[in-house]
Amino acid sequence: MAVSWLSRLAAQATVPVFPVRGMHGEPVLHRLALAAGIELVDSPRHASILLVAGGVPPDQHDALRRVHDQLPTPFATLWYRSEPLDELAGATRVDDPDALPEALKTIHRELMSGKRGSSPRLLPDEPPNPWEGLGDDGHGGEGMMGGVPYGRPMAMNMTDDIRDGLTLDSLTVTLGPFLPMLPPGLTAEVTLQGDLIQSWTTHSAPYPIALESAFFQALQGPVPIAELERARARYHLKRLHFGLRLAGLERLALEALRLAFEPHPGQNRVMALRRRLVRSGFFRLTTTGRGRLDENQARRVGGIAARAAGLEEDWRSGDEGYRHLNFRPLTQREGDTAARWHQTLAEIEQALQLAGQAERDAVHTRRSDGVETPRGPWGEYRPEDASGVLEELLPGLEWDEAMSTLASLDLAPLSPWSLEETSEAPVPTSVEERRA
Amino acid sequence: MIVSELILPVLLVTFVLVLGAYLVAVLDEAIAGALGMPRATSVWTAPLTQGAWLLTQQANATEAPDWRAWRLAPALYLALAAIGLAVVPFSPTLIPTDLVTSVVLWGSVEALATVVIFLHGWSANTLLALIGAYRYVALGLSYILISMFVLIGVALPAESLQFSQVVASQEGLWNVIRQPLGLPLFLIVGLGMTFWGPLNLADSRDLAGGTASAVSGPPRLVWNLARAAMLVAFSGAAASAFLGGWLGPWLPGPVWMLLKMLAVLAVLLLIGRLVPRVQPERCVTLMWVVFLPLSFVDLIWAGVEALL
Repeated sequence: MAVSWLSRLAAQATVPVFPVRGMHGEPVLHRLALAAGIELVDSPRHASILLVAGGVPPDQHDALRRVHDQLPTPFATLWYRSEPLDELAGATRVDDPDALPEALKTIHRELMSGKRGSSPRLLPDEPPNPWEGLGDDGHGGEGMMGGVPYGRPMAMNMTDDIRDGLTLDSLTVTLGPFLPMLPPGLTAEVTLQGDLIQSWTTHSAPYPIALESAFFQALQGPVPIAELERARARYHLKRLHFGLRLAGLERLALEALRLAFEPHPGQNRVMALRRRLVRSGFFRLTTTGRGRLDENQARRVGGIAARAAGLEEDWRSGDEGYRHLNFRPLTQREGDTAARWHQTLAEIEQALQLAGQAERDAVHTRRSDGVETPRGPWGEYRPEDASGVLEELLPGLEWDEAMSTLASLDLAPLSPWSLEETSEAPVPTSVEERRA
Repeated sequence: MIVSELILPVLLVTFVLVLGAYLVAVLDEAIAGALGMPRATSVWTAPLTQGAWLLTQQANATEAPDWRAWRLAPALYLALAAIGLAVVPFSPTLIPTDLVTSVVLWGSVEALATVVIFLHGWSANTLLALIGAYRYVALGLSYILISMFVLIGVALPAESLQFSQVVASQEGLWNVIRQPLGLPLFLIVGLGMTFWGPLNLADSRDLAGGTASAVSGPPRLVWNLARAAMLVAFSGAAASAFLGGWLGPWLPGPVWMLLKMLAVLAVLLLIGRLVPRVQPERCVTLMWVVFLPLSFVDLIWAGVEALL
């Protein structure tokens, strides 16, 4: 009796969902972030439903199984535009973004009432490597040193600390591909001392990101600049949402996201958002002048990161249509995390201002041999994965600095498909195809 | 004897902590709703439904955690909150434990909180929890010093280390006016010891929940409850030290005390929603270079004022 009373109460709770961000899964998660009654949580331990949004390449299925098994019972999985793992063939799949919030709530209610059983464990509940402890304390080595208990070396200070000489034990771990703070798909081997990153080796690139079709049309022929610029503003507002949420500014993050979903967001609302960000201390309290890109790195990353480092590189400068609107690329000098967020906000305002002006004068793009995407210029080549720069950029940063630097950078390659097409796009079946 | 010195104090502390922790959750939900967060359920039931869900969720295991420390840490943090609240006076006579050194006891609660929070992160034996624990120790050292100077400041005019005497000494003028730097500095201490909002370096989003990132089910419920309870205990200490505790016209003393605690809680929760998480390095710099010197100024101010 008491238990059923508790379950009934639990069924009414806000549904905690851990999202696995697969390929092209972001758009639906943005919609979920604004849905009432659903909370997107950061740890699988805090979730009652594992939502796999978008396809996961087969070589990352094992990582997906590990995340799956981290959810405490009772839990269920829901697959959004993604093929369930073979072991979970009977799991619920939803392809309609409008049906997703209700589906999540129903599954949670069914789990609580016992109508739906918990998802089965996929991996054996045992350490990934056998216990090979030796020595007095069973730690795997001689005396107090060495050894590889459970297949991992003991945390030992093999390297000097690169911050202030306070040497702590080094710890080497693999991060990604579903860690919510990293770009989806990115995996890296990271060595830490305390919260300081000693080394960073990127193992697999972030998943490609899809742009709105306006950018693809601009490569075919003239498109209205208003449409292109609004799409650009929406893209950056969604990135801003991620950065602000990470910084603990949930309210302003949602404000940015709401603006991104408006058909005609006003420039003055973005200016108001910027003022509120300044007042909240976002630029002064959450950044420390780190994460600075030099000229070469900035050029490799391109787009906002390049202009935030002072490079006046913008495909739009060469377009007659934009010149008619008196377009001039904006730049910052510092090239660090704060500069990139300043640049992002300035470019959102600029995009909306250009959009308003272009709409009045019905201005179209003139060049179609390339386009300035939010991710950088797309001329002869599509912007490619730039996550290689992390290996030079992140060592020496504290965890928080590293994560806010990552959030301010847009490193993923561009998808050859547009946002509108990706719902039908196939999931690449091999690693080679994904790299291609 | 047993009733008045053991049973009643325990009942009072338990009642205030449970009611207070519930109100913290309600208030935080209400503030979030007022600031435009999407909300489906009523603010009054949301904490209950979430608690019920955590009770039905399995308490998970990590690979080779320090089980005893991992399970004990949330309970210890809750116990510290209860100990802290036990020395807070609700009226000249309604005081769970009227120690002559209650201000010192409160200081030890702050110091031990650092140990318990570190223990919570360290014992889980997972990366993100460990980073949260490491980071918290750096913060903990900084805020405890500030707290010491600020609390000595309020003890000076009272010529006592007893919270009830500190309240009595504010009969003419509350410390919030007498020592204008005190309460703002003490609020920073409160955000630190509950790792709330801008000073949430232990359980933050960049660590997927930090020390609590690998915790689920009932232990997570206890941990969340303990954090809310610590906020309540802190608001009691702040209201006694700076807002004149039970003092006030018309209403009975305990009612004034509860209202003042609610006001402190509302300010802390609002700061938590409006200010971003301070980057750890910036945080430590601010603490040592700005707030610690300010706490010296506060102490000198209090000393001079006490001499005059």
